[in-house]
Amino acid sequence: MTQEHENLSAFVDGESQDSSLISALNDNESLNAKWQRYHLIRHSLRKEMPEFADFDISEQVANAIESEPAILAPKKTWRDVPVVASVVPFIKQGGQLAIAASVAAAVVIGVQQMNQPVDVGPMNSTPATLPGIKGGLSPVSLEETRTVPRTDVMEQRKVVNSFLTDHRNQLRMKAESLHNQDEALNGQEKGSPDNGESNNPQ
Amino acid sequence: MSQTIHNKFINNKRRVSLRVIALLHVIFAFLSTQAFAQGLDVQSGDVSNAKPTSQLSARAWLTKMSEAVRELNYHISFVVLKPGSEAQPYIWRHGISETGVEMEHLSMLNGPGQEVLRMGDQVSYFEPNVPAYSMRSDVINGPLPETLLSAPETLLGAYDFVLVGRNRISGRSAQQIRVVSTDGSRFGYVLWLDESTGLPLKLNMVDLKGHLLEQIQVTALQVTATPHEHFSRIETSKLPQVIEFNPNKSLEATWNLAFMPIGMEIVKRDRHRLPYTGQWVDYVMLSDGLVNVSVYLHEKNGAVADQDLLLRSESNTFLTRNHGSISVTVIGKVPAQTANAIASSITVANQ
Repeated sequence: MTQEHENLSAFVDGESQDSSLISALNDNESLNAKWQRYHLIRHSLRKEMPEFADFDISEQVANAIESEPAILAPKKTWRDVPVVASVVPFIKQGGQLAIAASVAAAVVIGVQQMNQPVDVGPMNSTPATLPGIKGGLSPVSLEETRTVPRTDVMEQRKVVNSFLTDHRNQLRMKAESLHNQDEALNGQEKGSPDNGESNNPQ
Repeated sequence: MSQTIHNKFINNKRRVSLRVIALLHVIFAFLSTQAFAQGLDVQSGDVSNAKPTSQLSARAWLTKMSEAVRELNYHISFVVLKPGSEAQPYIWRHGISETGVEMEHLSMLNGPGQEVLRMGDQVSYFEPNVPAYSMRSDVINGPLPETLLSAPETLLGAYDFVLVGRNRISGRSAQQIRVVSTDGSRFGYVLWLDESTGLPLKLNMVDLKGHLLEQIQVTALQVTATPHEHFSRIETSKLPQVIEFNPNKSLEATWNLAFMPIGMEIVKRDRHRLPYTGQWVDYVMLSDGLVNVSVYLHEKNGAVADQDLLLRSESNTFLTRNHGSISVTVIGKVPAQTANAIASSITVANQ
């Protein structure tokens, strides 16, 4: 029995491809239950548990099939009246044309949106305070627009942008300043960066 | 046929009625199953009869990773996924020159492209719109969490490393490791390492509930005996000049933070002007080596509404809180609760 457990565990982990185990899984009820539990354990160990843990949907599917009413013959509808049957295709075609037109419009809009400039990533922002670097800074993530009249919202965006850009700049310069400190410490223990130019309040 | 199916339904129902008991059994099965006990090798690493690769503890795996990242010659393609932006593909090359100097090259493949080149302790940035420049640094400040990859031992105080198990990533077998902040105040990471080389294959940044925030996925990995030929084409004498940059003088601490997450400390404190607006701010950077948080103390912006502000920019939390005429702004990749705790713990000395 322990051997079987171990085989099953290896099978769940993808370390064994024992086909006889598959048939054993089908036949053996307790092994089948174990199979479900192992996956449950695996999910919870990896923090991959769904928010609403409903582990076995097979029963729900079975119930749904059972409660499904049997359909014997198609109902007669108004579409089966001869005149209507010949009119409906025209309406359908018109509808298809409209759909085709709207799809084309959507494609045009989609293409326009796809052709927006690519947002370049985290290495984009340049330190503003570094000497010797000319050139503008590009907005970080919230975009500025000049044509729109300035409102509180625009002002707020600008402020938020300035903070975000500064945060990025500080991150890049941090690597530099830490490096200088390491050199100043010259072989002393690494990883205590509050010795240098910064003041620790404690 | 229908008879057997019917039987199965009945069996299913019986099993469902036992589901609660089965759930209780989960714990027992978990303890009694030997194979899982081996996979559960959390931080101890003393299992002697397992396969050689699965013997290592989480910490040993990270040591193996940092050695591999610093010492191997490799060529890695990876993709960065962030909320609110498109996938960003990169190439990451690393090599050791004949003279023993570390060479590292990071290149963004979409758009106008950005190249970062590190030769030893000199990092050169080549970007569109600005002249190329170099800085003195041991690490490239880019999409990769360099501290986690090259010096994970410095994070031990602030984070716990937990070995989770094995998995298949990028077509290779991988070890999965969780990195969790000890006080639950920062986002967590899930790291998958290549079993044979120790190089990273995938990195997820997850929030406190385990939802994915950012992801780095390796798509191709090559380890070679010699450095990539790309490095031989670099003319080191033609690299841009290093900018010597004098850090601002340290400030008298007129305000203090009462709360800092475990493992975080103040790595920088100065007063400077913001880009675009030119506003003066008192600035403090907190860091645990992996996550950096910027704290700004500034006068309240007249044009901006009075209420507090909480935004999310990619996975950065942006929080502004008003204390009378002074506002505090906190930015960083931390949960909003942590940003709030930092912002509300500020005390001003000279007032």
